[in-house]
Amino acid sequence: MNVKKLLIEPLRKTNPVTVLVLGICSCLAVTAKLKPALVMGASVTVVTALSNLIISLLRKGIPSRIRIIVQLVVVATLVILIDQFLKAFAYDVSKQLSVYVGLIITNCIIMGRLEAFALSHGPIESFLDGLGNGLGYSLILVIVAFFRELIGSGTLLGYQVVPQSFYDAGYQNNGLMILPPMALIVIGIVMWINNSKTEAK
Amino acid sequence: MKRDINSNGYIFLYSTVLVVIVAVLLTAAALWLQPYQQRNKENEKRMMILAAAGANDEGEITFIDGELPVYLVNDSITVLPMQGNGLWGPIWGYLAIAPDGKTVKGAQFDHKSETPGLGGEITTVIFQSQFAGKQILQNGNIKPVEFDAISGATKTSNGVKEMIDKTLQQYQPYLEKR
Repeated sequence: MNVKKLLIEPLRKTNPVTVLVLGICSCLAVTAKLKPALVMGASVTVVTALSNLIISLLRKGIPSRIRIIVQLVVVATLVILIDQFLKAFAYDVSKQLSVYVGLIITNCIIMGRLEAFALSHGPIESFLDGLGNGLGYSLILVIVAFFRELIGSGTLLGYQVVPQSFYDAGYQNNGLMILPPMALIVIGIVMWINNSKTEAK
Repeated sequence: MKRDINSNGYIFLYSTVLVVIVAVLLTAAALWLQPYQQRNKENEKRMMILAAAGANDEGEITFIDGELPVYLVNDSITVLPMQGNGLWGPIWGYLAIAPDGKTVKGAQFDHKSETPGLGGEITTVIFQSQFAGKQILQNGNIKPVEFDAISGATKTSNGVKEMIDKTLQQYQPYLEKR
């Protein structure tokens, strides 16, 4: 078992967003600000890691005819738990993320990892694989949100970063960056840079 | 006996056990987290009432539970709770009436499931701030409040209008008494 490979590869070489192009929808939706992006990334990481672990533990007993249903039940349970936790302890972020917490269930990265990895590998490997893929997703989310919040609102995590003197000199926040189309373009640029530097062909 | 994990009996047993475990887990979590969630909801409601009345975070809210429930902020501003229907689900809000009883002090709206960017815009400052200063009485009668609707969100805008009109009709006797 190669811990480093399982954890590091999904960050660059087999990144779920930039290389496998999964989970794009939520990438567009929650990256207007850095804080929701961080919470979303953390939530998806927890769900992928734990669902991979649970499915891997159950994999010898799951009847193959109801395989997908069992996977969905496990993922849905984890997502509901996370949604409840956010509502209880991070209410404002939970409001910002709104439906996208619930939609983690439909995030292709999770089902993809369950089908492609957890069903055929041991629990510890599966857990690390889920963790790595979740972190790979979070990384892209944070990079995109960083640029969108910085250029779109002039803030980072809600704190003013662009100094007032810039605005006095005529600088303006780029409102386009807050809208979904620019998220797609930023992701495209990140993808381009990432894929031009990795030779995975 | 060798167990066959693809037999019908096993599949039924497996799914039943799985569902029961999940149900117990989710119920336990819901019961445990409910007080925290309740507190957040109450806090949010408090903030909405204060924001509608234009008061700061430390404002004092008195709840008057008569035939028609009313909130009194800092003993001067009347805040009326409103409930209505948007396009996809319920919308609600608070309408603050200035001490003179005929001018809108401010309004706050929230929604369950309106479309973000269209109907969801009713929670924005731009939409909500236009209500301050509107007159609700004309010759002693309730006058429908006029406001700029959101283009592309006709149903939600109509819902907001109906909600305000309905609430003001209901509260007319109360407002006249003041």
